[in-house]
Amino acid sequence: MQASRTQLGRQLLAGSMGRVSREPYRCFSCSVRQAQQQAPPPKAPQDAQGTTHFGFQTVAEALKEQRVGAVFSSVASSYDSMNDFMSLGIHRLWKDHFVRNLNPGRNPLTSPSSGDKGWNILDIAGGTGDIAFRMLDHASTINHDAHTKVTVADINPDMLTEGKKRALQTPYARTPRLKFVEANAEKLDMIPDNSIDLYTVAFGIRNFTHKETALKEAFRVLKPGGVFACLEFSKVNNPLFDAVYQRWSFGAIPLIGQLVAGDRDSYQYLVESIARFPSQTEFRDMIQDAGFLVPGKGWEDLTNGIAAIHKGVKPA
Amino acid sequence: MAPVRLSNSLLGTFRAASIRPANAWRQKCLYHSYDYTESPPFPPAESAILSSAYNHVPSHGFTIDALKLGTRDAGYLDVSTNLFPRGAFDLVSYHLVTQRLALKDNVQFPGDGEQGKRMGVGAKALAIMAQPTYIPASLVELAKLADEIWFLAGDQSVDSSWYTKRASLSTIYSATEVFMTQDKSANFTETEQFLDSRLEDLMKIGRFMGALGEWGNYTGHSTINVLRSKGMRI
Repeated sequence: MQASRTQLGRQLLAGSMGRVSREPYRCFSCSVRQAQQQAPPPKAPQDAQGTTHFGFQTVAEALKEQRVGAVFSSVASSYDSMNDFMSLGIHRLWKDHFVRNLNPGRNPLTSPSSGDKGWNILDIAGGTGDIAFRMLDHASTINHDAHTKVTVADINPDMLTEGKKRALQTPYARTPRLKFVEANAEKLDMIPDNSIDLYTVAFGIRNFTHKETALKEAFRVLKPGGVFACLEFSKVNNPLFDAVYQRWSFGAIPLIGQLVAGDRDSYQYLVESIARFPSQTEFRDMIQDAGFLVPGKGWEDLTNGIAAIHKGVKPA
Repeated sequence: MAPVRLSNSLLGTFRAASIRPANAWRQKCLYHSYDYTESPPFPPAESAILSSAYNHVPSHGFTIDALKLGTRDAGYLDVSTNLFPRGAFDLVSYHLVTQRLALKDNVQFPGDGEQGKRMGVGAKALAIMAQPTYIPASLVELAKLADEIWFLAGDQSVDSSWYTKRASLSTIYSATEVFMTQDKSANFTETEQFLDSRLEDLMKIGRFMGALGEWGNYTGHSTINVLRSKGMRI
C-alpha cells in the first residue's frame, strides 16, 4: 500500500513536472525535434500488478482513468476538426459504414407489429454524439422508425457537453430518443440487465483501463441476441502500407495536434494507445472469452486494417 | 497365414495412426470420402436462425427481411442479423449448401420415378450471387456442386478428365440456371430441353476430342515410323 502510494505520487509529480518544463517551448521547431527524438515503441513489458498502459508509458491503474480524462477534456472542443485532419476525413466514411452495416431501427412496414417498438441502443464513449446521431438518422430515414432510442454514455463530462451542444442542431434534442449519461463503461449500474439491443463503442475501447471488465459489462446489459459492435483502430496487414502509416501516425498526428489544437501530448497519447491496442485476432478472442458469438471470422478491416469493426452476438 | 495376419495388423496400426492427423485437416478435403462424417456447414446458432429464416423465403425471397423474421422465430432479435456479415447472401449460401448436401438423399436414377426435385435458385438469388464481393464464394459453391454431382454419378476418374468433367458440368449448370430464370414454359420443359441439348453438345465435343486424340496419336506414330524406315535415327 505504502509502496503503491509513493509510486502514484511520483508519477503525479513526474507528470506535472514534465508539463511545467515543456510548456514554454511550444513552437514549430521544437515539435519537429521532439518528433525526431520520439523513441521507437518499446517491447511490451510484463504488466506489474496494479499497473496498466497509458500510451507507451506504464502507469498505476488508478491514474490511467484520470489521465485519459485529461486528454479528452483537452481535445473535446477541437475533436471533430482534429479527426478530419488526422484521418483525412476517412473517419466519417468508417462511421457511416459502421452504422449502415448495423442497420439500426425497426421498419414498421416489414416487421410484424407485435412486440416492442424500435431498438434500445447504448453508445458507449460516444460523448460527441457522432455515432448516436448517425444511428438515429439511419433509423428514421432508412427504416422509418420513430421509436429507436440511443443512450449516449461517456466517462468525460466535457465530451458530453460537446455532444449536448451538437444535439441542439439535430431534431433529436430534448426528445426521449436521445439521452446523455455520464458513466464508466466498466460499471454501468444505471443500465439494467438484458435491456439493450445494440451496444456500440467507436474509438473508445482502447482507452478503457480494463477491457475485459467492460466486455463483461456489455454482455450483462445486452438482451439475449443483442449485438456488441466496436469500431476501433487496429493493425495494418500490409507491411509496406504499415510503414507509411506508422510514419504518418507518429510523425504527423502529434504535429497536427500541436498546430491545430495546441496540444501535442494528448495526440501523442492517441497514437501510442493505437499502437498498444491488441490486434484483430487477439481482440476477437477477448470478445469470445466474454461469452459472445462472433459472426464469420469476427471482424471486418477498414482501409487495410487501420480500423476494424468487431462484432459479437450474445447467445439467446 | 501368419504373414498375412501380420501385414493386416500392420495395416491396422497404420490406419489408426493416420486417422489422427487426418482428423485435423479433413475439413479441407477436396474429395469425397466415406470414412469421415462431414462437420456441419454452419455453427449451431447460425444454423438455427438460417433454417427458420429459410421458411420465410417463399413469401419474402432471399432478402434481409426473411432473415429478420427468421431471427425472431429462433428467439433472437432483429439486431442479431449482424451475425450474418453477408446478409442475404448467407441465406442464399444456406440454400445452396443444404440443397447440395441433400442431393445424395433425393437423387433420381432412371426408373425411380418422374418426380425429381428442382434445385433452381431463381433470378433474385442469382443476382445476389453475381455481386462482385460474392462471386468467389459462389464459384466455390458451384465447383462443390459439380463435384457432388459427378461423385453421385459414380465418376472415379483420376486423370486430367477429373478437371475437365467438373469444369464442363459447372458451365452447363450455370448456363441452365440462367436460362431457367427466363423460362416461362409450364413445368420448365424448355429448361429441360435446353439442358438435354447442352449435354448432347458436351457428348459430341467429348467424342470429337476423343477422335481427335486418337487421330493425332495414330498420325504421330505413323510419321515417326515412316521417318525411321527412311533411316532416320529417332
